[in-house]
Amino acid sequence: MSDKLQDIINKQQDQIAPGEENMDNIVQLVGFVVGEEEFSVPILSIQEIIKPIEWTRVPRTPGYVLGVFNLRGTVIPLIDLRLKFGLPSEKMTENSRFMVMKNDMETAGFVIDRLTEAIRLKKHEIGPAPETAMQEKTMIEGVGKQDDKILTILKVDKLLERDF
Amino acid sequence: MDEFQEILQDFLIESFELIEQLDQDLVELENTPDDLDLLNRIFRVAHTVKGASSFLNFDILTHLTHHMEDVLNKARHGELLIDADVMDVVLESIDLMKALLTTIRDTSKDEGIEVDACVLRLSAITNGESPAAVEAPVVQEEVAEVEEVAEEELDYANMSDDDVEAEIQRLLEERQAADKAKREAKIQAGEAVPDMPIADEDVDAEIERLLIEKQAEDKAKRQAKIDAGEEVPQLPDVPLEEENADTPAAEAAPAPAPVVTAPAAAAPKQPAPEKKAAPAPTATTVEQTIRVDVKRLDHLMNLIGELVLGKNRLIKINDDVEERYEGEEFLEELNQVVSIVSLVTTDLQIAVMKTRMLPIGKVFNKFPRMIRDLSRELGKKIELEISGEETELDKSIVEEIGDPLVHIIRNSCDHGVESIEQRIAAGKSETGMIGLKAYNEGNHIVIEITDDGAGMDPDVLRSKSIEKGVISEKEADSMGDKEAFALIFRPGFSTAAQVTNVSGRGVGMDVVKTNIEKLNGLIDIESELGKGTVMKLKIPLTLAIIQALLVGVQEEYYAIPLASVLETVRIGKEEIYTVENRSVMRLRDEVLSLVHIADIFEVEHVFDSSEHAYVVVLGLAESKIGLIVDTLVGQEEIVIKSMGEYLHGMDGIAGATIRGDGGVTLIVDVAAMMHMAKTIKSSVTGENGAAGGGASRAKTQPSDYKVMIIDDSKTDRKIMTLALKPLGITLVEATDGVEALNILKSGEHQFDALLIDIEMPRMDGYTLATEIKKYNKYKNLPLIAVTSRTGKADRMRGVESGMVEYITKPYSADYLQNVVKRNIKFTFSEESA
Repeated sequence: MSDKLQDIINKQQDQIAPGEENMDNIVQLVGFVVGEEEFSVPILSIQEIIKPIEWTRVPRTPGYVLGVFNLRGTVIPLIDLRLKFGLPSEKMTENSRFMVMKNDMETAGFVIDRLTEAIRLKKHEIGPAPETAMQEKTMIEGVGKQDDKILTILKVDKLLERDF
Repeated sequence: MDEFQEILQDFLIESFELIEQLDQDLVELENTPDDLDLLNRIFRVAHTVKGASSFLNFDILTHLTHHMEDVLNKARHGELLIDADVMDVVLESIDLMKALLTTIRDTSKDEGIEVDACVLRLSAITNGESPAAVEAPVVQEEVAEVEEVAEEELDYANMSDDDVEAEIQRLLEERQAADKAKREAKIQAGEAVPDMPIADEDVDAEIERLLIEKQAEDKAKRQAKIDAGEEVPQLPDVPLEEENADTPAAEAAPAPAPVVTAPAAAAPKQPAPEKKAAPAPTATTVEQTIRVDVKRLDHLMNLIGELVLGKNRLIKINDDVEERYEGEEFLEELNQVVSIVSLVTTDLQIAVMKTRMLPIGKVFNKFPRMIRDLSRELGKKIELEISGEETELDKSIVEEIGDPLVHIIRNSCDHGVESIEQRIAAGKSETGMIGLKAYNEGNHIVIEITDDGAGMDPDVLRSKSIEKGVISEKEADSMGDKEAFALIFRPGFSTAAQVTNVSGRGVGMDVVKTNIEKLNGLIDIESELGKGTVMKLKIPLTLAIIQALLVGVQEEYYAIPLASVLETVRIGKEEIYTVENRSVMRLRDEVLSLVHIADIFEVEHVFDSSEHAYVVVLGLAESKIGLIVDTLVGQEEIVIKSMGEYLHGMDGIAGATIRGDGGVTLIVDVAAMMHMAKTIKSSVTGENGAAGGGASRAKTQPSDYKVMIIDDSKTDRKIMTLALKPLGITLVEATDGVEALNILKSGEHQFDALLIDIEMPRMDGYTLATEIKKYNKYKNLPLIAVTSRTGKADRMRGVESGMVEYITKPYSADYLQNVVKRNIKFTFSEESA
C-alpha cells in the first residue's frame, strides 16, 4: 500500500522535476481584455473566475464600484475595470467574467470583457513600467514582451486598494 | 517558562473573577457588618490572591494582600467593626489590588504601583488605630504590634507555614528587643543584671511551661467547641504578658488546632484535615460550567448564521415548488421537512445565542460600590436598588453597556439626587433612591434607571442649550418636553452649575447616546420636576442575527433593523409639508421630519405617480425620523455580514445580508442615516421646476419672476416692495386674502411665490393658504408667511395650512430677499437688476 503510494509520489515528482530548475524564473500570468487592451495579473492572485451573476448596487460609491455580490455566502465588492480605467461603460456580454482577486487583506471581483489565456513569461522578459506612469499611483507592475505583443501586468495590491 | 505563563493565566482569570464579586460583597458588608458568610467570602479572596501571588513571586501584591488579609481576619473574628472609614481603606486596597492585577496581566510584573501608604493604613487598622491617624510615626507601631500579638496569636492555625515562620521570627526579635530594654531599665535602676545565658535559660524554661499550658488550653478549647458544635473562634482569656512570650508554642499550633475557625476553603496551603473540618457553609451553589474560548462561540455563531441563510433559502424554494406543483403528494412531505429544519434551526440559533448570554448582573455588580463612593464624595445619601440582575444579554452587548450605565448613574447621583438639606426641605426622605432594573420586553432588554431626585426642567434645559449654542431659539420654541430632555445627550451640553469631580464635563451623556446607538438601542426619558427621572434603555438581545424590515425603493431593497423601527404608516402625498426646505409630517401630536430613502442612497428617481407613500418611523437613542420608502416588503431574520475592507464604513450602510434568493441586500445603518438626513435637501414633495402652476416657463430675465405681496398694511407692503426691488422681479400687491385669491384665480399672472401676512381683514393668511392649496396646480407654489406672530402654535398652523417659510417681523431686507430667492429658485445675480 505505502509502496504504491510512494511510487505515485515519486512519479509525480519526476513529472514536476524537469521544469523545476526554471520555475523560479518563470512568472505565470492570466491575460484578459478590457476595452481594446490586453492586461494580465499573476495567476496566484486570482481566487477564481466566474460568469457574471446578479449584484447589488452600493450607494455613495464611485461609479466603478458596481456594488456587491454573493460568492457562496461571502459578500464581495464588484469593480468594473472599464470604468476604473476611464473607459465608457458597456453592457456585459457572453464573454464577460467576474475575476475574483485577492491579497492578504482583501478580496474583490473585477468585471473584465473577456479572458485570453494563461501566459508563462520568463522574468527577463518583463520590463519595468514605463517611466511616464507615475511611480506612486501606477497600477502597472511591469510590461511583458511576448512574441510580437506587449502585455501590461497589473499590480493586484493597487487594484484592491480602496481609493475613495 | 510556558508553564509559568499558564499558571499566571489561570491566576489572573481566577483573581479577576473573584474581584468582580468582591465589590458588591464589600458594600453589602458595610450594611451588615456582622455577616460572617460575607466576611469569610471576602477574606477568602484576599487569601487566595495572596497565596497565589506569593507563589508567583509578586512581592508587592503579596505584601498588600497580606495586610488586607490581616484586617479582614480581625473583622472576621469580631475584633474589628467594619465602619465606613475602615471600609474606605479596604476598598482602596482592593482598587490597588485590581490595578496590580491589571499591571500583571499587561506586563507580567507587579511594578509601578505604590501600595505603601495603603498598607500603612491597613496595618493601622489591624492595630486598632483609626486609619486617619496613619500619619502617626512608625515608632508607635512597634508598641501597637506588641499588643496586637495577642490577637494575632489565635490565627496561626490559619496561616501558611511561611507566614508562621516569619511571624515567629518577628516575635522573637521583638522579644529580644523587649528583654534588652528591660535589662537596660534594670541597669538604670541599679539592679543586678543577670548574664545573658541565664536569661536564655529562663526563656527556655518559660517556653516549656507555656507550651504545656497552651496545649492544655487548646485541648480544653477544642473540647468545648466540639461540645458546642460551633466553629466560631473565641478570644481566649490569656494574659497579654504570657502570650507575648509563648512564641514557640505557636510553632506547634497549626497542627494541633484544626478546628479553630471555619477555615477559608480556598486556602491552598492549609493541611488537609482542616479542609475536611470545614463543611464550607459559605460556598455558593456552584454551577456546572466549562470555560470556552469566545472565538469558538463566535465561529459557531457564524455557522449558525449560514444555516439561517440556508433555511431562508429553503423556505423560499419550498414556496416556489408549492406554487408550481400544487396538489402533488410529495409536497406535504417536503413541507414537513422544511418546517422541521426551520424549527430546529431556530432552536439551534436560540441555543447558541444563549451560550453567549451573560447575566446583566455582571455589569450591575460594580454599581453598589460606585454609588457608595459617589455618595460619600458628594456628601449625599444615596441607596441603590437593583432588580432583574439575572436578565441575560449577549456578551458583546454586556461589554458595551457598562460605560453608558456608569455615565447615567453618575449623572443621576450628581444632578438627579439632591443634597440632604434640599431633600429635607422638599419633604423627601434624606436618602435618595436610585433604581436599576432590567427586564425583557420581546426581543429587547430594557434597562431602567430611576431616581427620586429633582427631575429635569424642560425650560431650563432649553434656555441652557440656547445659551451654550447647542440649539437656536427657533429650535427651542418648537421643541416638545421630550425633545428638551433629549438635549442632555447633545455634545457640549451640561447643566451642572459647577463642574464637579463626578460629572459635568459635558462629555458623559453624548457618550451614552453614541454607545446605545451603536447597539441599535433606544433611549426614552421621562422626568417630572421635583419627583425624579426615569431613563429607559431598550437594547436588542443580540447583534449577529437580527430581525429586519425589508423595504423597497424603485428596484432596490434595503433591510432596516427592526429594533429601530417604531412603526410604519401610510400617508397621502398631501400630508407632507415643507418647512424651511425640509419635509415634515404630523404624526399624532408630533412633527416628524421626513427623508426619502432614495435621496439618502442616491437612487435614481423615476417618476412616481403613486398618491401614497409609506413612512417607516425610525427611532434611535432619543431621536426620531420618518423614512419614506416605495414599498414595504416584510419582516425577515437576517445575518449581518461585513462587506470587507474595501467597502467598510460606507455612509449609511451597516453591512449586507444574503437573502433567501441568494441576492445581497444592504442593511441600513440607522444612526448614520439619521445623521445624513440632516444634511440632505428634500425632494419629497416633487421635482424642481414644478412650482406655481404654469410658472415653470423658462426665465430669461429677472422680471420673468412674479411674486405677489399680500398684506393689509400699506407700510408693510412698501417695506417688502423696497426690500425686493433690487432683485428686479415683478411684484403684484393685494390687500387681503380675498383679493389675492381673485387675482390668482383670474389666471392673469403666473406667480412664483406669494408673501402672505397672517393678520388680515376678510380672509386671513391661514385661510388663504388653505384655499390656495386646494388647487392642485398651486400645490407646489411656495407660500411664505410674513408675520409678527411668533408662537409655536402659529408656526404649526402655518405649516398645516401649507406655508413653506415663516418670516417673523421685523426682518432685514437681505433676509427677505434670500428667502424669496431661494423659493423662486432665482438664478440671476443682483447686478442685472
